[in-house]
Amino acid sequence: MRTIKSEGVRRILRNALPFAVMPAIVLLLPLGLQEQYYALVSFVMVMLALLLFLSGFERRDLGTRRMILVSVMTALSVLGRLLPVIKPITALTVLSALYLGREAGFLVGALSAVLSNFVMGQGPWTPFQMLAWGLIGLFAGILAKPLKRSRLLLYAYGFISGFAYSMLMDIWTTLWTYKEFTLEEYLAAISTAFPLTCLYAVSNVIFLLLLAKPIGDKLERIRIKYGL
Amino acid sequence: MRSYAEMNPAAVTVHLMLTACITVFCMEPFLLGISLLCAIGFFLIQNGRKHASFHIGAIGMPTLFALLNPLWNQHGTTVLFFINQRAYTTEALFYGAVAGIRLAAVLYWFRSFSQLMTSEKLFYLFRFLSPKLALIFSMAVRNLTLFRQQMQRIRTAQRGLGLYREGHLIDDLRGGLRIFSILLTWALENGIITANSMAARGYGIGSRSSFTFFRWRRGDIVLLAVSLLLGAAVTAGIAAGRLDWQFYPTCAPAAHSSAYYAVLTAYFLLALLPVIHAYKEAMMWKRLRQDI
Repeated sequence: MRTIKSEGVRRILRNALPFAVMPAIVLLLPLGLQEQYYALVSFVMVMLALLLFLSGFERRDLGTRRMILVSVMTALSVLGRLLPVIKPITALTVLSALYLGREAGFLVGALSAVLSNFVMGQGPWTPFQMLAWGLIGLFAGILAKPLKRSRLLLYAYGFISGFAYSMLMDIWTTLWTYKEFTLEEYLAAISTAFPLTCLYAVSNVIFLLLLAKPIGDKLERIRIKYGL
Repeated sequence: MRSYAEMNPAAVTVHLMLTACITVFCMEPFLLGISLLCAIGFFLIQNGRKHASFHIGAIGMPTLFALLNPLWNQHGTTVLFFINQRAYTTEALFYGAVAGIRLAAVLYWFRSFSQLMTSEKLFYLFRFLSPKLALIFSMAVRNLTLFRQQMQRIRTAQRGLGLYREGHLIDDLRGGLRIFSILLTWALENGIITANSMAARGYGIGSRSSFTFFRWRRGDIVLLAVSLLLGAAVTAGIAAGRLDWQFYPTCAPAAHSSAYYAVLTAYFLLALLPVIHAYKEAMMWKRLRQDI
């Protein structure tokens, strides 16, 4: 039992995940489950969403060069996350997404989360972090054109993604502490984390301010030079 | 006989994740107590007397949670005393202790899991999902050390050129940025060279094959089957509401049916598997030594 070699099995998995398993879970949620299992279900959903993205990636041909560049950017952002307090991981994810494409953005974000958690500590929050950073990269890739054109928009994206990241992680915090999800508890979690959230958002903007030009130029140069 | 850490990573992951996830998603004091004790036992077998500060922090958690929870939690009926006209209740104290035990148990399980799962093993697991992704992952791990070494080289060269003074804040920052910039240029170009040489050697033409240390042996299959069986039994018991505790307004334990004890026993066996394994290993070692 090694990698799933048969192409047929892979195709079935790819189709079954988004179109059968996830709707089934969503439908079963109000039917059989009590409130206290929302945490479990959300955990399973996030794992499935990650599986979906990653198996979709296997099918797409990214090109060897782009693949290697993804691993380079991942390693750089993990090195950056080991800095104290402020983390350039979001800035590097966004920049890779802008110049290397949306899949690259998702992968850099998600893989940096797993890899850096070897040092910072793995836990049930790892899949949530993977998804949060992956999505930040994915959306940056989708919005690549306007974000590349206007620097101001890029900073705004960094600022908003700091908040979005925190809010997504607070969903997990709420579910994990209270075993249920109500608006008041969610708001309480958000307000507790608010100073840290602001720090994230501002540090994202600072890192984009510092890094957008030099890293952007270098990635652009590589892209033009080697025709990615 | 292999130790628990040397078993097939897929089987170990399924077993530890089942044990930890049931702990995360269940609020039954006895089950959590069992989980914590087994987790501590497993951690001690892995580490001996090291990591004393981790033990202090993890064991202190339930006490801290228990004392703090009543301060902002006003549920519960048995009032102990009042602080600023806010009730401090036994139920909230108890709930805090249980939540603290849960957190401590989860910390122990995940700490052990992180120790067992080296990146080599994680690479093996990733390959189930996608060979391409596994390649990127393992290259990123390799790049980490490569970049650290290269950074050291660049720093030495910069210092040798007299461009960089240490202990001067602005110089340090500017020097750090310059080193990062040089590293990035080098890393990107180096990556392209790697990609070119991979393409030259025929990467991406046929299906990939790779070497691994891990095989599926009888012990792995037994571990996987036993943990899936016990995990399914416990999950079914929890889902059927056999372990439902009520904390507020008054504490009401789960009904002491035979199903309740069966679920607890099943979980106890599941969580104790690594300890049983280590005990078996030690017994075998002793017997082998006696034979000599």
